[in-house]
Amino acid sequence: MDILLVDDSRTMRLIVQRAIRQAGYRALTVSEAENGAQALEKLRDERPRLILSDWNMPEMSGLDFLKEVRAAQNDVPFGFITSEVSAPMKALAMSSGATFLICKPFTPEDLQVALTPILGGN
Amino acid sequence: MATEVSVEIVAQIVESIFVTMMDLEVSASETPSLPVGDRLTSSVYLEGDWNGAVSLECNREQACQFAGRLLSMDPPATVDDDVRDALGELANMIGGNLKSSMDANARLSMPSVIVGGDYELRICGSEIRNRLAFRLDEGHFWVTVSAKDDEKSATPRQHSLTNTD
Repeated sequence: MDILLVDDSRTMRLIVQRAIRQAGYRALTVSEAENGAQALEKLRDERPRLILSDWNMPEMSGLDFLKEVRAAQNDVPFGFITSEVSAPMKALAMSSGATFLICKPFTPEDLQVALTPILGGN
Repeated sequence: MATEVSVEIVAQIVESIFVTMMDLEVSASETPSLPVGDRLTSSVYLEGDWNGAVSLECNREQACQFAGRLLSMDPPATVDDDVRDALGELANMIGGNLKSSMDANARLSMPSVIVGGDYELRICGSEIRNRLAFRLDEGHFWVTVSAKDDEKSATPRQHSLTNTD
């Protein structure tokens, strides 16, 4: 698995998967989880190169998920894709160990800019 | 804390979301009446510095078209989970961007979606501040901003948008 994609919305998971391909990363394998708790289960067995997560999710928020990941000494790059991005929220995310935030709506180019430093050129 | 909600900002947010995510050019128009008959309403709620709700309403055909465009597939023939999820995601994006524009410390709810033909959505303790109609080739859809009574009123727009209050 290259990317672990965490979002409660099936629609948004499909949109992000499509954007990843449109950004040129067609060969990457993407695994999905519907919330942070389910994603933590997946991280027990797999080590993705990148986590892309929604912020606002049931069961476990994206921020709580990030904190759990870092508490487990996992330093995997972690990006949020969220509909709400304020300065305080961005500061909180970054201080908690996030690598980047992408605000919805977003384009494949936005995703490419964020992914290239982590995954390399496509 | 009361925060101004500008109808211009709401219009910009909706237009940006539709063109970026669905390649759909939409524009605000003068159509005050809500759709009649079967329709969908997706809503998100904000609670904190600013208390209110944002709702997106459209007819079933439009909802299926939106889902098809968002998911890059043929529009579903009927309203299914994909259509409900897509409408909820659109409301989530509008509400999230509105929250960011207000710089409000508020919690954004999960989206809810209503499907039916004879209902009226009432956000208890809130009043409608703005109802914006947007025009598409297939017809209109509506975005409504409701706020609790103690929140500041939205700034009136000087041209085509119509507030149905």
